[in-house]
Amino acid sequence: MSKKGMNRREVMGAGAALAALSALPFDAHSAEKLVAATFGGTWSEVHRKFLAPAFKKRTGAALTQAVMLATQQIAKLTAAKGGTPPFDVAILDEGPALNAIKLGLIEEYNPAKSPNFGKLLKPFQDKWGPSVTMQCIGIAYNPNKIKTPPTSWEDLWDPKYKGRVGITSLASTLGMAFLADINRLAGGNESSMDPAFKKLKTLLPNLAAVSANFGAHAGLFAQGEVDIGVQNFNFTQTLKSKGVPVEFVRVSSGTPAWRTSMHVVRNTGVSDLAHTYIDTHLTADLQTALQQEPYNVIPTNGGVPLCCLVKSQIAEKPSDLQKMVFFDWTKINAGRPDWTNAFNRQIRV
Amino acid sequence: MNHSFDIDRASFRFVFFAIAAVCVFFLMFPSVIILILSFTGEETLRFPPPSWSMRWYTALLDATELQDALVLSFKVAVIATVSSVLLGVAAALGIARSNSGWARFLDMIFMSPLILPALAFGFAVLMMFSLLGYRPSLWTLSVGHTVVVVPFVLRTTLASLTQLDPAMLESSRSLGAGEIYTFRRITLPLISRGVMAGAFIAFMASFDNVPVSLFLQDARTQVLPIYLWDIINNQLDSRAASASGVLIILTIVLMVVMERLSGVSKFMR
Amino acid sequence: MTNRLALLLPKRGEWQLALPLALFFILFFIAPLLLLVVISFYNDQLMTTAGTGQYISFFSDGLNLTVLWETLLLGVKATALSLFMGYPLAWFAARAKGRTQAFFLFVVVLPILTSVVVRTFAWVVILGRQGLINKTLMALGLASEPVRLLFSELGVVIVLAQVQMPLMVLPLMTTLQRIDPNFADASNALGAGAWRTFFKVTLPLSMPGIIAGCILVYAACVTAFVTHTLIGGVRLLYMPLFIFQQAMDLQNWPFAAAISVVFMISVLLIIALLVMLSRSSRAQIYG
Repeated sequence: MSKKGMNRREVMGAGAALAALSALPFDAHSAEKLVAATFGGTWSEVHRKFLAPAFKKRTGAALTQAVMLATQQIAKLTAAKGGTPPFDVAILDEGPALNAIKLGLIEEYNPAKSPNFGKLLKPFQDKWGPSVTMQCIGIAYNPNKIKTPPTSWEDLWDPKYKGRVGITSLASTLGMAFLADINRLAGGNESSMDPAFKKLKTLLPNLAAVSANFGAHAGLFAQGEVDIGVQNFNFTQTLKSKGVPVEFVRVSSGTPAWRTSMHVVRNTGVSDLAHTYIDTHLTADLQTALQQEPYNVIPTNGGVPLCCLVKSQIAEKPSDLQKMVFFDWTKINAGRPDWTNAFNRQIRV
Repeated sequence: MNHSFDIDRASFRFVFFAIAAVCVFFLMFPSVIILILSFTGEETLRFPPPSWSMRWYTALLDATELQDALVLSFKVAVIATVSSVLLGVAAALGIARSNSGWARFLDMIFMSPLILPALAFGFAVLMMFSLLGYRPSLWTLSVGHTVVVVPFVLRTTLASLTQLDPAMLESSRSLGAGEIYTFRRITLPLISRGVMAGAFIAFMASFDNVPVSLFLQDARTQVLPIYLWDIINNQLDSRAASASGVLIILTIVLMVVMERLSGVSKFMR
Repeated sequence: MTNRLALLLPKRGEWQLALPLALFFILFFIAPLLLLVVISFYNDQLMTTAGTGQYISFFSDGLNLTVLWETLLLGVKATALSLFMGYPLAWFAARAKGRTQAFFLFVVVLPILTSVVVRTFAWVVILGRQGLINKTLMALGLASEPVRLLFSELGVVIVLAQVQMPLMVLPLMTTLQRIDPNFADASNALGAGAWRTFFKVTLPLSMPGIIAGCILVYAACVTAFVTHTLIGGVRLLYMPLFIFQQAMDLQNWPFAAAISVVFMISVLLIIALLVMLSRSSRAQIYG
């Protein structure tokens, strides 16, 4: 029996003790805990930097923010239906939001628990959950490599960009909205994406990569893998602020946009806390901070005047926001699973 | 005669040495790159880093989600390892002594998690737990991990048992010791190194496991590799590099410690 | 050795020791897999009607079969590269003594213990258009434009080979160490050169190790979800991502289950082939 090295009994004993200790809940404090979904890229950044501290200051509760695409949130909530949901606050783009309502995954938003709800502009006050912002898309490009700024989606098809274009899959709204827009421009509507798929096929030689989500997509710009591509207004500005050479342009055919809203998940045990979290996102203070560069999040609170880059690049006054291109998300939701399958097959190398 | 031998032998050695050297470089290169990159002062990962800083390491101190993930990974790994040792050592003792077809069959079954696509297994377990009404939790994760890491403990313990000199057990018995006493005082201590090596490998395998964790965890219970996976896929900052750097350094330290304690490397098949 | 042990130790109650693990496996390994098979036999996503619909739809679509085929082929390519590069390393490591061998072991074992996410992530930075490899190639004048390594099959093969290499080197090392050096000496004494000795003596004798390494590496390469998606991207669709997309993104459990079953059976068949190869090669050598 060797003396050096641990005695096996001791190891077993230590192991069993460790296991027992591990099984105990590891909460340092017994305060309430909220798990909120957030989007990747800029979103998780602003939520971490601004929303989390404001929320914690307001309630003192523990907070976890988990990054998930809207479609993934729906998938997880559906899988957990009937029991405790895996997170308490959902953040959804218009399409998935309609889905969530239809599937009974979220509860109606209670304005009584949310003092700032009434301060939102009318179009953003929805009974199922307030809109926290509008997102819009256009083209992002590297001004060091591309000297003449693009002006329309057609520029992505330009042969001189072979192997340099980036788009996202249909799992993210960024990708879906792009597909819906080229569909619209090709003469189609939300009932069928055939015109879009025909057009997409001709784009394949130009593609450098298709990203599974917009966070990875932004990363490709940062790494120089992609020189031009579909991109969200907000993310472009954030990338720019990190020193990545990138510029955003709106396309001449009209800027596709959609609302992004936050919701309280059904059956969550912390409904009040969830309402407070969402309410914090609606406050004038937070929305003003988020509107500043480099985040440029479009505000929905009536008391926050449009300013900075949002004003100069997107909308001078709130009514301008209504002039963008909107889609019928109910119709899109109906076809999305089939289109996702078709898209995954078409982009294959 | 000697001449042709030399050239032939020299060319053989040269080619082999060249390939082996490239291989060694190949194996160490990525970890080194990540370590270097983790000290970048920039927000994006470009090599070579235009500026240097410790900021991404200090950023880790604020990352509560990272710390939670680390703690959870540790807990799951401990539970999975302890379970694997208890179940695996017992099974190894049962199988090693018998030469029957049953033993061989069981050996194959117990080893199969190593070759079956773990992703498919993770999905299958998720469905089973989901249909039974169990939500992803520490326990579902631990169960899934135990299945995939117990083969390691089994392997090293079996290897140890077969290296056991039966003469020791014979002499113990001839001196009048009972079966259980022999087991406790002779067999167990002699295989302890093998068991510990297996436990170490099992622990690391659980800690690093992705395919099973991908399915069996959720926003409330996120393990470290999945958390890293998320920040690499979804976010733009360089915390992925510093988190990776910490993990690499930790692994090196652990390896050196375990090598000193029990000569783990002898048991890696 | 095991026989002697069996003779010397009391037989009472020995197999019962394996019962706890067997029970555990039945509950948490066999049962889920059986469930997987059962669920694959539902015709629709909501799991109301039973049938072979999912399998029919998988096999009738050429694209699905291509995904399966390409995944299996990817495994072969990565395993081959891993064997080619790993064998010389194992050869030297088996012959090394003391400190040198400890060094080799460290180099080989450390990657397995480091998280696969970390190791693959490093490659993303190395393989990119503006990554290390391309920068070096352009600086040396070997390429005028960045070579597409990231999001290409070549990149995936390279990274897979590196990430799974230790699984090849370790079994090879063990086998090479066990080969009686007398064989090689005899071959040399009889006039065979180094290369000839290698191909005619060492290589065949090390077959068991080669096969063992290939089995482990192949199994790991075909299911390497992280590597496939980080390096291959979404455009290169292999089975793991396919299963994940169907199971989690699209929540189509029956179809995902069917693809999983097909995948598992394919991998098992290939591994069984390799095992049979190993048995036959052993028979050849030892008669």
